[in-house]
Amino acid sequence: MSSKVYTTESGEVVYAMVAEFETPADVYHAAEKVRDAGYSRWDVHTPFPIHGMEDAMGVKRTILPMVIGVVGLSCAGLGFLMQWWMSGVDYPLMTQGKPFATWQAFVPITFELGILFSAFTAIIGMLFFNRLPQWYHPLLKKDRFLRVSDDRFMICIEAGDANFDPDRTRALLEGAGGKHIDLVEE
Amino acid sequence: MSQISAGGHSHGVGADHPALRSSNISMAPGAGTGLKSAFIGLGVLGLAVAAIGWFKDPTHALASFHVGVITAITICLGATFFILIFNLVNAGWVSTFKRQYENVMSLLPVVSLLMIPVFVLDYFDGHALFNWMSASAHGDVLLEKKAGFLNPMFFYARSAFYILLWAYITSTLRRLSLEQDRTGDKWLTAKARRTSAWAILVMALSTAFAGFDWLMSIDFKFFSTMWGVYFFAGSAYVGTATMILILALLRRAGKMEGAVTSEHFHDLGKLLFSFTVFWAYIAFSQYFLIWYSNIPEETAFFHMREHGAWPMVGVAVIVSHFALPFVIMLFRGIKRNPTTIAFFAVWSIAAHVIDMFWVVRPVVHVGNAADPVGWGLIWIDAGAVLGVLGLLGWLIVGKVTSGPLVGVNDPRLGEALEHRNYV
Repeated sequence: MSSKVYTTESGEVVYAMVAEFETPADVYHAAEKVRDAGYSRWDVHTPFPIHGMEDAMGVKRTILPMVIGVVGLSCAGLGFLMQWWMSGVDYPLMTQGKPFATWQAFVPITFELGILFSAFTAIIGMLFFNRLPQWYHPLLKKDRFLRVSDDRFMICIEAGDANFDPDRTRALLEGAGGKHIDLVEE
Repeated sequence: MSQISAGGHSHGVGADHPALRSSNISMAPGAGTGLKSAFIGLGVLGLAVAAIGWFKDPTHALASFHVGVITAITICLGATFFILIFNLVNAGWVSTFKRQYENVMSLLPVVSLLMIPVFVLDYFDGHALFNWMSASAHGDVLLEKKAGFLNPMFFYARSAFYILLWAYITSTLRRLSLEQDRTGDKWLTAKARRTSAWAILVMALSTAFAGFDWLMSIDFKFFSTMWGVYFFAGSAYVGTATMILILALLRRAGKMEGAVTSEHFHDLGKLLFSFTVFWAYIAFSQYFLIWYSNIPEETAFFHMREHGAWPMVGVAVIVSHFALPFVIMLFRGIKRNPTTIAFFAVWSIAAHVIDMFWVVRPVVHVGNAADPVGWGLIWIDAGAVLGVLGLLGWLIVGKVTSGPLVGVNDPRLGEALEHRNYV
């Protein structure tokens, strides 16, 4: 977080600075410039996915798969322990003449619990890392922002970024070819 | 990456692409002769060792040879299956290396002919392998009940039918692809798709029944309706592994640069990984149902493999065929690096050999309580398996070096050249 809080002329706290671009190529190359200027809290908004944008933005790979792997395997292990304790220790019940604690009989449920908790972790982790759900977003106050679902491409640099400075950030976006550069209020 | 990808649908990228320059996608005359001689040397040497083994213990040598033959057949069956699937789903990302799948596929009828020496040796060994044809099994009530299906005449006729059928399907698909090289007619791709539509049904059934006849019938009392799937799962697994190995070797030889990249290895690695899991799922399901239902004819199969050192082999199968590759191949980097994924390709072929060894070989020394594995004669297994795989390797290198490495007129080449994993 930047220590500085910027305000607009009307006294409102600044959330971010936005710039518009007309083509995917323009916004792609502008994103490379913003990436190289060392910004971290910023995003690109486009009407459709642009292949390779994650490289242009310097987005790191998510650690979500690792989280899913660890949680999934742990829960599979716990599921196995649960069955072993229930059938072998707490309430031994003779079934089909098999021994009380048989690993074979526990495999399907161990497997299913591993899958179930992997799926839970995937969906909850995805929401968590995306900071969702969010019921409100300052960008939605901008009428021009609606065009990113139609025919415009937008870069939005948050005022919370350590590198954010109204003049220098504006200069960067202008240099990158951005149009209609504007401040967004919280 | 400083350019924006145009997406994967730019058809018509043809011979003008830098990755498709002729030096990159064709082997120099005489290339691969070293590897070829090494393979044929291995083949002759291994089979010579197996022949010596025949005089030491014919049944053991026959079973070892059968392990090798089945491994070779499953490799080619796997390649055939993938060609059918790729044709059916209009797969674009494979078109730069589909020709290599076709090379292995076209060897299916050739290596299937190795079943003839198996049958001949089995005959001269008093049907020690296909025991149900021997005099000792005669009159067994479980055999009598199955005799309508499991009788020598029908058995040999079926085997011949599979091989002829496979020869027809594989040669038709191969011919269409080679014709496209010459004429450039893009509609041959659609024709191959139409052929694949009926062929995949026929292949599924004939693969399952070949598994029943050539592997399951070794123990005629045993039956498992999942056997066909088990046989297929191993085939798809080892077929993918062989493909990764061929492509990694070609890349090592400085070929296919830009045509087969980390992106393709990544997806082939995913297939290898998925068939590791699929095989384990099927193998366990088969075991699990037999374990639960506890029917003597079925449990005898696993009971036989729980004596002497056989459990050790069984654990080796589980660890090498599933547990270890599952954990390691989960990681993205392993699949994207041609060297590490090629290592797992070789590993997978070895794991599949151990699996087939575990399926076929227990019948040989079944009466020997002291050493039911027959460790003293394990050199016969090594010789026979490496011998057959050496022959297959020799055939594959011959096919690979016989023409262009890429089907140069494939209409989907553009898609494969731009193939990327965006995750």
